[in-house]
Amino acid sequence: MGGDALTFKLFGLTFNTTNIVSGLIIYAIVFFTLYGMSRKIKMKPTGAQNVFEWLVDFTNGIVRSQMPTAEQGRYSFFAFVLFVFIFFANQFGLIFQFHWNGAEVLRSPTADPVVTLTFSLMVMALAHFAGVAHNGLGGYLKNYTKPFTLMLPVNIIEEFANFLTLGLRIFGNIFAGELLMSLIANMAFSHGALTIIPGLLLELAWQGFSVFIGSIQAYVFVTLTTVYISRKVSE
Amino acid sequence: MFVNSVLAESNSLYIGDLVFYIVTFIILMLLVKHFAWGPVTDMMKKRADKIASDIDNAARSREHAEKMAAKRQAELQNSRQEAADIVSNAKKSAETQRAQIVEAAQNDAQALKQQAQQDADQARRDALNGAKDDVANLSIEIASKLIQKELKADDQKELIDSYIEGLVNHES
Repeated sequence: MGGDALTFKLFGLTFNTTNIVSGLIIYAIVFFTLYGMSRKIKMKPTGAQNVFEWLVDFTNGIVRSQMPTAEQGRYSFFAFVLFVFIFFANQFGLIFQFHWNGAEVLRSPTADPVVTLTFSLMVMALAHFAGVAHNGLGGYLKNYTKPFTLMLPVNIIEEFANFLTLGLRIFGNIFAGELLMSLIANMAFSHGALTIIPGLLLELAWQGFSVFIGSIQAYVFVTLTTVYISRKVSE
Repeated sequence: MFVNSVLAESNSLYIGDLVFYIVTFIILMLLVKHFAWGPVTDMMKKRADKIASDIDNAARSREHAEKMAAKRQAELQNSRQEAADIVSNAKKSAETQRAQIVEAAQNDAQALKQQAQQDADQARRDALNGAKDDVANLSIEIASKLIQKELKADDQKELIDSYIEGLVNHES
């Protein structure tokens, strides 16, 4: 954590090398994990296919509990990929954290607010698009005056609040987790053998807890995604 | 101001990452859909269909089996009935045959008995007749023998004379 970010400019846009590299690695991990799990598909599932189908059932269950039946099929795939990607991204920083020349090269992309807000933006864009597609522009705009017209400013603020909280919640959790991990690591190496044993134990405990947090945050992110989308399409 | 405080960690707002993540996430979705999600959910759907059709088939074949069992049961019942009928028919015909045979035998016996009676009667009559003839012949023979023996001219002269006399007397 900390230090200047490694950035480069391309087409007039600033890119963060850390996020790009970590993101590409996680994309590869996600794709090849799912690819590997779905190779030998049989009518009677065995091994990895069972895990894959359990995962599909799990994210389908999240979608099913929030959305009207007619809309489920359309968003269950998005929820599935989103969940798997965010889950791997959250756990990635617990295992790999590389520093090079005082800057980070590898860490969880979800510990960066730009990345989490990107996903939040994606979700909100999808939700609003779905709202317009489902209710028409008139119906979509009318929803801002519900339950009565005076709620209009509150509803507009709520949309921005949803966008920010969705992205910043996961950023806060993962960023805090990784920050504390590096702090514990710094502490462990600060006074030699005296601190290395308690530091190791603390680090272990915190890593275990972070795995838990990362999983919960992936679940929460996908649940809120389906909530926001279903609120737009069901009203 | 808000943006600066949130992104203090990152030092600068790198919009490039935003574009990068949106584009790559869409690419990931396409790849996963084509290589992993599609085949697996297809198979899950196929399995669901198969299970549903298996349940239907099982219900159908059970119904069929029950129908067949009922049919077998009815057939068994029928064949039992038939067997009983055959046995009782056989018994009945045997009974009538027996009665016929006995009756015929009785009739034959009766006829034989009558025939025998008649034959015996005939024989008796014949024997009686024969005996009568024999007795007559015998008596005639005896008589003729007796007569030959007695009929000597001298001896019979008186008798003949008396006859002749009697004849004469009678004539007169």
